[in-house]
Amino acid sequence: MLSYIFSANFLDALLRMGTPLVFVGMAAVMGGKANILCVAYEGMMLFAALGGAIGSAYTQSLLAGAALGMAFSMAVAMIFAYFVLYLDTKPLLAGLALNTLGTGGTVYVVYLLTGMKLDTSSLPSLKFPAVDIPLIKDIPILGPILSGHNLMTYLAFLAVALVWFLLKKTRLGLRIQAVGQDAAAAASVGINVRKTKFIALTISSIFAAMGGMYMSMGYLPYFTANMTAGRGFIGIAAQNLAVGHPLWTMFFALLFGASMAVGNMAQSYRLPSQFAALMPYLITLIGLVIMGARSKKQDSLTAEAAMKLHTPAGAK
Amino acid sequence: MGNAVKKSKDMTKTIERRFSFLRTLFAVLIALAIAFVLIATVSEKPLQDFITLLVGPLKNTSRMATIVSKAIPLLFTGTAVCLVYSCGQINIAAEGAFFGGAVAATCVAILPGIPPVIHIPLCAIAGGLAGAAVMGIPGILRVRYNVVTIVAALMINYVALYLGLYIILNPLRDPSAGFEASFLFSESALLPGLFGNQRIHLGLLVGLAAVVLGYWLLNHTAFGLQMRTVGENEKFATYSGMPVGKTIVFTSLISGFVAGVGGTMETLGNYQRFVYSGFTNHGWDGVMLAVLCHNDPKYIPVAVLFLAYIKTSADALNFSSKIPPEIISVIQAVIIIFVAAERFLAGWEHRSIVKHSKDAMSKGGAE
Repeated sequence: MLSYIFSANFLDALLRMGTPLVFVGMAAVMGGKANILCVAYEGMMLFAALGGAIGSAYTQSLLAGAALGMAFSMAVAMIFAYFVLYLDTKPLLAGLALNTLGTGGTVYVVYLLTGMKLDTSSLPSLKFPAVDIPLIKDIPILGPILSGHNLMTYLAFLAVALVWFLLKKTRLGLRIQAVGQDAAAAASVGINVRKTKFIALTISSIFAAMGGMYMSMGYLPYFTANMTAGRGFIGIAAQNLAVGHPLWTMFFALLFGASMAVGNMAQSYRLPSQFAALMPYLITLIGLVIMGARSKKQDSLTAEAAMKLHTPAGAK
Repeated sequence: MGNAVKKSKDMTKTIERRFSFLRTLFAVLIALAIAFVLIATVSEKPLQDFITLLVGPLKNTSRMATIVSKAIPLLFTGTAVCLVYSCGQINIAAEGAFFGGAVAATCVAILPGIPPVIHIPLCAIAGGLAGAAVMGIPGILRVRYNVVTIVAALMINYVALYLGLYIILNPLRDPSAGFEASFLFSESALLPGLFGNQRIHLGLLVGLAAVVLGYWLLNHTAFGLQMRTVGENEKFATYSGMPVGKTIVFTSLISGFVAGVGGTMETLGNYQRFVYSGFTNHGWDGVMLAVLCHNDPKYIPVAVLFLAYIKTSADALNFSSKIPPEIISVIQAVIIIFVAAERFLAGWEHRSIVKHSKDAMSKGGAE
């Protein structure tokens, strides 16, 4: 088992599992920074996975497929934004509703197009290619580790850099964070809160779409019903554990990917795979408890210090 | 004059209530319209299929029994979510509690040699306690460690799922079943049918009792008042000396217990062994029901009947025209999102309140 974990096969499996999680983790980071409680990533991913598969199948163009996948995911985000930002729907309920729409709506579309209920394997959809990096692929040992992965895997790491850059170095990123931290204060200095949240959600939906499309155009060669299987929630878990920091979110997403890879391996050895499957969720819970306990301790320390400051010396 | 103001306030309340009903009605109508469009696109005989969607469940007594059978688990999860939402906790762990309850009940139900009078309550208690644990944990983490309830609840759902699957598929797995399932339940743990129909089982009575008890707890007890106060305004509850943390934890435990008993009843009432391989969606349905009922268990039976009705319609459609039953989740999604949209129809509502206030003012002025 240990020898497996240190093998190149394991790295491949980790990246296969981790790629969609890193993407949806970045989606959750964007949503989290704008302080939008969005759980609709699952629905966005499902629709994007479907859009990518059918788009590429009917046009035989990878780019057109990707565009349709993104459009589907953005449409979900638009509905979410309209109901939450304009009709005051509670974000949690809108998110749950859209996830439900994702599971049912995608099956409907599959049935409409193929007459089958479960998957689009009858459609000639395309896959994102694996990329061999010239020169690097010829380096011994390092070559096979760095080169030869799916295009989307490289884009996932690019997405992390992009999110980091957006949040740290651009006006838009700072605005999103200002809105997220204190919407009223941001509004008072002339930032359009709704518009900013809307933009953040749109960016979010693009990342979720990439994660979803990897599922149907890389991880598997076609769309199957409910194929994201809770990955949207794992993205939210990673973001929560990382307190919204993009690099740490990536770290946790990959860690969760690793635990899924271990689970798959356990299954092939007929070992119970359920423990590996529940790891991401358990780690997140424990992590949140530790963070909560720490911040509570800090709170009480600050409160104590404040009490000392404000108690007049003679009052004892 | 003062009288007129009071009257106008009452009127405003009536209008608000009327619009909350209208919103629900419009949501259902919009959902049905969308359903019609969806059906029309995939069906060869759209009109007939749409009629099946509307009245298919009433076609024969077997289908009507299906409605009741589908309603039973929803009575539990709907009540459970109503309670925990009334307390202001966005605890969506009812899904995990339902599943966990079913698993714990299975552990007890496979034991041989216990008379039914004791066996069924024992299963229900085991299921309830497991459910209470699942839903209680997010409550405790929220109070003790300030963990955001919804995130903790999302996580605990999956922990319950995989832990439950581990228990079912390893120590409790029946290798002779031929598929992934637990050992057979003991005869004594199976729920007796009512009215001579095996699908309408004892769980119906327990479920209705859960609704009544939930309603009573929420509206007619001191603890219920605490729950609602904490839900309305946690700070106010704190300053008026209520034990906020305790209220949240106990409410979560009670809700989880109800959901867990629901899982127990559904499993022991319908199956010979544990057969789920994933979430059953009863918990999410509970969220939808609570939204439809504005967290008041009083309306749960009606809402449950409605949801069970459209689910049965979907099955009927699938049976008659092979239309995928998943279409129903589109209808559900549309209903939730519109009912929960607080500003949906707000313009109309606002105008009619203004109009009534103006009328009342001018009458008051004339007196």
